[in-house]
Amino acid sequence: MLACQAPIPDAILLDYWTRDLPDGDEMNRVEEHLFACGDCSARLDQMAALGAGLTTLVRQGRVSGIVSRAVLNRLQRDGARVRMYWLAPGETVPCAVYPGDDVIVTALRADFSGVDAVTLSVTGPDDSPFGRCDDVPVSGLRGEVLWANPAALLRQMPSMRLELTLNSTGAAPTELGRYVLEHSAHQRLLS
Amino acid sequence: MQVMVDASDGDVARAVAARAPGVAEAAESELYRRFAPRVRLYGLRHLGDEEEARDLSQQVMLLAIEKLRAGAIRDADQIASFVLGVSRTMTKDLKRLDWRREKLRETFLRAPMVEAPAEDATLDLDHLEACLARLADRERMVVLLTFYAEKTGSEVGKELRLTEGNVRVIRHRAIERLRTCMTSREGSR
Repeated sequence: MLACQAPIPDAILLDYWTRDLPDGDEMNRVEEHLFACGDCSARLDQMAALGAGLTTLVRQGRVSGIVSRAVLNRLQRDGARVRMYWLAPGETVPCAVYPGDDVIVTALRADFSGVDAVTLSVTGPDDSPFGRCDDVPVSGLRGEVLWANPAALLRQMPSMRLELTLNSTGAAPTELGRYVLEHSAHQRLLS
Repeated sequence: MQVMVDASDGDVARAVAARAPGVAEAAESELYRRFAPRVRLYGLRHLGDEEEARDLSQQVMLLAIEKLRAGAIRDADQIASFVLGVSRTMTKDLKRLDWRREKLRETFLRAPMVEAPAEDATLDLDHLEACLARLADRERMVVLLTFYAEKTGSEVGKELRLTEGNVRVIRHRAIERLRTCMTSREGSR
């Protein structure tokens, strides 16, 4: 077999795979090339495997950071056990991980009017850094930021107080809210 | 066998059609080895289901080999086009069948059916998890919306209040970074 003389650019392959290439001549050309070319179909296969791997990770609850509402909805539709905590600015909420939980999602509410993106910083005891999400687009218009963590990871944590600060990003960042999670280690809850 | 591996698609198809003893079997294996993964990918892209994609691949390849054996494919050099054409036709039929099944399911089954998570056998998931964690937060969001929530660029744009063009740039960059990370040991823990 000959090596491909005119490989399909990665960006086009990605558009094809993610259904962003409209039906029509270009899509036909791409498919005809993929069927005739082992090299390009192997590259598409790698891309598809990466996508399938990401899907498996999320379904297993192995997702950290800020997620959008569409991803959360899909997780719940897929049968993942998602425990949610809702916090308004200034609120302190006790939280824990229970047996069977797959993902813990903390929904932070704030006034997001005029805010395109936010930065979330999380600190543990003695202001130790626990996590940070930078320049995250605010998902939809629901007025919430969803911070997800694998339950398996949080189960290993001792009881502690976590402080979360949400700031808008941009030329003049402003604080949108401070929140506190009082985390109880799961073992303590059972005793 | 090595001769078949180095042969063009047309030569492999001709060898299947010739049905020469001792050669045809190797040619059929080679034809299957080359085209079955391509049909499976086509099925995954259009049917969105691994099992259906594998079924499609089996059916298309069986038909292609039967047609070649029967001398029903005139131009062996066009074997790729033939396999693509059959894939398209069978996919349309499967989609119609799926639509009917879905209608029946909606009518008779009210409770949502949850599929068991599929294990990905080919990727090191621990490594992928580490690579995913290394992406910028907005890259991770776009990638998860694309591959997990199965949203198009325009839908991701609406969800995150970004332009479609911006989403495509972020997505492309994120996939490049994931691929680089997966091929290096940089992302491993």
